[in-house]
Amino acid sequence: MQSRRRKYLWLIFSASWLLLVLLGAPRLRQLAIPPSLRPRTLTSWPRWLDQELLPNFVEPEELTKDPCPPSCSTRQWQRQRPGCLMETCFDTSRCQSHGFKVFVYPVGLTQPISEIHHKVLASIEGSGYHTANPEEACLFVLPGDALSPQLLPLWNGGQNHLIFHLHPGSWPDLGFDLGQAMLARASPKPETLRLGFDVALPLFPQSYPQRGGSRGQLAHLIPPPGEDLLAFESQLDARVTGSSNHLDQTICQPSPRFCLLQKSGPRALGFSDNILLSCFSFQAGCIPVLLSSGWELPFSEVIDWGTATIMIDERHLLQVMGPALQELPPARILALRQQTQFLWDAYFSSVEKIVHTTLEIIRDRIFRAAARPWLLWNAPPGGLLALPTFSTQPGDFPFYYLQRGSRPSGKFSALIWVGALDQPPLKLIQEVAGSQHCAQVCLFPNWRGFPTPTYSHRGVTLIFLLLQKSDRFFPYSAIGTDAILSLDAHSSLSTSGLLSFVVWQSFPERIVGFQTQSHFWDEIKGSWGYTDQRPNEFSMVLMDAAFYHRYYHVLFTHFLPAPLRDLVDELSECEDILMNFLVAEVTKLPPIKVPQRKHCYNLTPGLPGPPRREQPSRDCISKFASWFGHMPLVHSQLRLDPVLFKDQVSVLRKKYRHLERL
Amino acid sequence: MCAPVKYNIRGPALIPRMKTKHRLYYITLFSVVLLGLIATGVFQFWPHSIESSSDWAVEKRSVHDVPVVRLPADSPLPERGDLSCRMHTCFDVYRCGFNPKNKIKVYIYSLKKYVDDFGVPVSNTISREYNELLTAISDSDFYTDDINRACLFVPSIDVLNQNTLRIKETAQALAQLARWDRGTNQLLFNMLPGEPPDYNTALDVPRDRALLAGGGFSTWTYRQGYDVSIPVYSSLSAEVDLPERGPGPRRYFLLSSQMALHPEYRSDLEALQAKHEESVLVLEKCTNLSEGVLSTRKRCHKDQVFDYPQVLQEASFCMVLRGARLGQAVLSDVLQAGCVPVIIADSYILPFSEVLDWKRASVVIPEEKMRDMYSVLRSIPQRQIEEMQRQLLCRAARRASCPESWPWVHGKEIINDRIYPYAAISYEEWNDPPAVKWSSVSNPLFLPLIPPQSQGFTAIVLTYDRVESLFRVITEVSKVPSLSKLLVVWNNQNKNPPEDSLWPKIRVPLKVVRTAENKLSNRFFPYDEIETEAVLAIDDDIIMLTADELQFGYEVWREFPDRLVGYPGRLHLWDHEMSKWKYESEWTNEVSMVLTGVAFYHKYFNYLYTYKMPGDIKNWVDAHMNCEDIAMNFLVANVTGKAVIKVTPRKKFKCPECTAIDGLSLDQTHMVERSECINKFASVFGTMPLKVVEHRADPVLYKDDFPEKLKSFPNIGSL
Repeated sequence: MQSRRRKYLWLIFSASWLLLVLLGAPRLRQLAIPPSLRPRTLTSWPRWLDQELLPNFVEPEELTKDPCPPSCSTRQWQRQRPGCLMETCFDTSRCQSHGFKVFVYPVGLTQPISEIHHKVLASIEGSGYHTANPEEACLFVLPGDALSPQLLPLWNGGQNHLIFHLHPGSWPDLGFDLGQAMLARASPKPETLRLGFDVALPLFPQSYPQRGGSRGQLAHLIPPPGEDLLAFESQLDARVTGSSNHLDQTICQPSPRFCLLQKSGPRALGFSDNILLSCFSFQAGCIPVLLSSGWELPFSEVIDWGTATIMIDERHLLQVMGPALQELPPARILALRQQTQFLWDAYFSSVEKIVHTTLEIIRDRIFRAAARPWLLWNAPPGGLLALPTFSTQPGDFPFYYLQRGSRPSGKFSALIWVGALDQPPLKLIQEVAGSQHCAQVCLFPNWRGFPTPTYSHRGVTLIFLLLQKSDRFFPYSAIGTDAILSLDAHSSLSTSGLLSFVVWQSFPERIVGFQTQSHFWDEIKGSWGYTDQRPNEFSMVLMDAAFYHRYYHVLFTHFLPAPLRDLVDELSECEDILMNFLVAEVTKLPPIKVPQRKHCYNLTPGLPGPPRREQPSRDCISKFASWFGHMPLVHSQLRLDPVLFKDQVSVLRKKYRHLERL
Repeated sequence: MCAPVKYNIRGPALIPRMKTKHRLYYITLFSVVLLGLIATGVFQFWPHSIESSSDWAVEKRSVHDVPVVRLPADSPLPERGDLSCRMHTCFDVYRCGFNPKNKIKVYIYSLKKYVDDFGVPVSNTISREYNELLTAISDSDFYTDDINRACLFVPSIDVLNQNTLRIKETAQALAQLARWDRGTNQLLFNMLPGEPPDYNTALDVPRDRALLAGGGFSTWTYRQGYDVSIPVYSSLSAEVDLPERGPGPRRYFLLSSQMALHPEYRSDLEALQAKHEESVLVLEKCTNLSEGVLSTRKRCHKDQVFDYPQVLQEASFCMVLRGARLGQAVLSDVLQAGCVPVIIADSYILPFSEVLDWKRASVVIPEEKMRDMYSVLRSIPQRQIEEMQRQLLCRAARRASCPESWPWVHGKEIINDRIYPYAAISYEEWNDPPAVKWSSVSNPLFLPLIPPQSQGFTAIVLTYDRVESLFRVITEVSKVPSLSKLLVVWNNQNKNPPEDSLWPKIRVPLKVVRTAENKLSNRFFPYDEIETEAVLAIDDDIIMLTADELQFGYEVWREFPDRLVGYPGRLHLWDHEMSKWKYESEWTNEVSMVLTGVAFYHKYFNYLYTYKMPGDIKNWVDAHMNCEDIAMNFLVANVTGKAVIKVTPRKKFKCPECTAIDGLSLDQTHMVERSECINKFASVFGTMPLKVVEHRADPVLYKDDFPEKLKSFPNIGSL
């Protein structure tokens, strides 16, 4: 028994020693190390013993009492506060009845204006915003910025007036009292900009192209190995001055990966900053590294510059830039390069785009409820081409289906252009309405000779629309589906329509059609032409049988100016071309061709034969090209056929059998 | 059994002899141990006497015990707030330096109690809300207790409510802070600025260059890019646990719950209610509440009594009208209740408007247009209202974890983004609800751009030892006009590639890359030698493709540079019996994959395959020596959300005599393995990204009745 007890004792003894060592050692070690060398623990904000008893910063009763003195009535408020806001200095009621219409004072009223101001005015006059009637106008634009506006008949203290001030920020201020007029000013200082009222513009030279402008030069989305990492502004600048301040292709050539741009410095008076921003960086796909020393970036109200540039505070440039640029992941570089290109093409490449962007920003402020959301401004095709009149939900536009995780509806509406026929094309209607994807058939134009709608087939409704010819692409509220099938009374769809609709669902932003044509540059005449005699490629599809998104009706009606649509009314055959121009301008891509049975015309007695495509008046294609400022059409060399098209396999295995007998 | 017995016998004899000696030993040893333990215990539970207090993380003290500081009446006063201050003029970024994590460091001054010459306190020591805010700062990664390393300084002087403090003395207290330095890099939090009768919209305490996180800024007092606009905290909704309400129609269309309204507004609202009896509810202060009921928690309409803030959940839109101040606490209640705020306060800078997109979660109406408010709101489609409600839910969820410290949680990130703008948080991260992030796809190649034809493509041939076949492929591919470079990936480590002189002579540069290991993923490595955007991956036994077919494939890729453009098409199918995915190589009407045995794709996908492939797919493929092509199809479809393009009718690729479906594919076990791959990848991706289409790309005139010699691509094989 004794030995067992001894064992116990030893056990307890050793256990206590162990305990002693474990507990004591760290303490002793701490005592051994001088305090300055010990690892620090953070002293955090104390947890007060009585923190539950602390008073509230304000009692709820006091908040709800919130005495409202006379000064909180609207009128009192406005009188007290100087400075302008859209709410206080802009009369939005002027814009309610006629929409967003812009009146431009005739140039003759004041002293002569500069070339650049001429371009600004021309951009407005040639657009859909323009009105010649000051009664209808919502916004008044001054010709130039050096005049006494008090002389203007409708000045009214500057209310609803917009002045383009296109000199650099360091330029002296305007020589007159602005009053309530808005200022669109090139590279302003943030302190002088009235937040939410004035608009910050990029600085551009006199020689800037009025419309069109050169497209982005980016060829490599991924910087090729061996490319320069960084170009400094001074390097770029040498080339600008060398070419007499003229913006041309040659100086926009090389593309280092990053371009360092700086606002302040000796050249603040010259126009280096924004030109460099646009020319070198944007057009050439060089990612701008902005040394933000407090400058207001152009259109910063709507453009999210963080998606296209790298901003660094110039004061800790040396500490930050190296690591920041080197650690940039390839995915970010890829996104930045594409975004710079997109922004350049969407908002900066011409005077017209800059002016229209300014006007659209103001329009978004006036019609707040119908303002464009962030995505519409900051993702292709951009705010000028994504109109909020269609919807303010990005998920409704064909361009953002993937981004918003939405998709077009699974049905289509057939729009049949009947023309001057005696009877409706019943066979075609039957054929179209027989498709399981068809939701409605709309016939136009309607006139007295037509029977009342009696046709109903598997729930397909028949609608008659009262229209003019150019209204073929009007956004009728009756159209209830995303997809539109445009048809002529003479076309025969057969059942190839089915494949084309399935194909369209994969490419909802493009036109999907059968008959194609190709544009070309006619060297002899020195103008654009188009033909169907170049069958290896195409750039347009005819609208007598084609699928497209209904959004393009909105764009056709609200984006294109009235004179252009009037032109289409005069010249036959041109509306197809105009629609193709428009869609190509938006998507930057060619349309899609699907196979079609030959002899597609319906030769029923009583119907006149297929309209002969006269040698088209080349006028319209050249006119459209000059209005767009460039040729948006793109050639394609491919056709989308069914997977087993003409394959040596039993016809019974094929889904689209009828196409085999072409 | 033996030993213990023996021991027992010997034991008794030993003990008497050793006993006293042992006992002594034991007693001394035990007392030593006991002493040691006591000493340790003293160390353990009596720390302050030995070490400086700064080593102890949590301090339990009363707010009333803090040191008192007497401010002489003539102590210096800071200048008034400088309206022209911006980050680059008034903020000292040198203090913030470069930090690998791009994070600012924030220091909090210790709490003191300030009294004037007569011992009268300058303000309440600290309010509950400010204490919680400071606790949140101290608990975040941004916090530092080292004043020398800090970039931003937060005074512990509570200025949340201007009415509770003495302006001049508070300013003097600020000025004597250790690192005040004209207010540079100091951050003040204020929710209720101004005082009667004028109610300034920013804190009236002279604060020189200090940054202000303020509730109720107007356009004229807000220094864009410098100050931060924060919401006014409301204890009403924070104390009540409101249930989450999903998007959908509500009992009332429009509700006004504010009690102190200007008579002009109230008459407007009452007129509105008279017109739309059913859908508009204008609440007032209750006049006849019984004793003990909190008047702030009730609202009345005629005789009806409503619980506040619960009633806010019954309306689609809730009014937030300007009172004496621009920032209204009711906005916090409304947001918490998930009611879409209708904000009528001209010039008000909405909370965090620099980063939060209020257009997506509120309606702002100019004060002049208040009478048209109803028709404006009615014109908003129900779908859009629900979208706003969804947006509010998502924001409420983000706030719920820390209602009191909300101003800090957002504010620190805004300030941080200003100092390190290149590492800023993106718009989508601030504003997109998680549901959108899940269902949406952001294509990395989003710019619609047709690459110039002149750039051409780089062909990458993966080979092991079939030299003869490889040379034939090289010769065939080199006939394609747009080929700009040929890269042979030599995957055989045991054998050297043939000598230079033996290789076929071709018109473009030919490079051989030797690999360290025989892995399938070597084919998709982003080699520096690839200088073009387009890559043609081709196996060393694909000898049947004509130059026309390859050139046409390149032209198709140019029109679809963000897709896989390939020749052999395959399909995935759902097997209903087995409830899993199945691989299909028969001639079908549909396509969802193209094999990378011969396919064009963008070089960027090589980078994605090598560095960004989810899960263990890359290693799995290398281990199984199979399915690298299926993995590539999954990867591309997942990031772009788009289908593949199969080009031309070609079905045979290896030899004219082969069956249309190539030898290997016929093997039943091969098919089972490929099906396994699809199931494995679908589970790693968590979804089935592949898209099924019914079309393939042919030249425009393929099989058309047209002279062959006039076609651009006459030589398109039909099998």
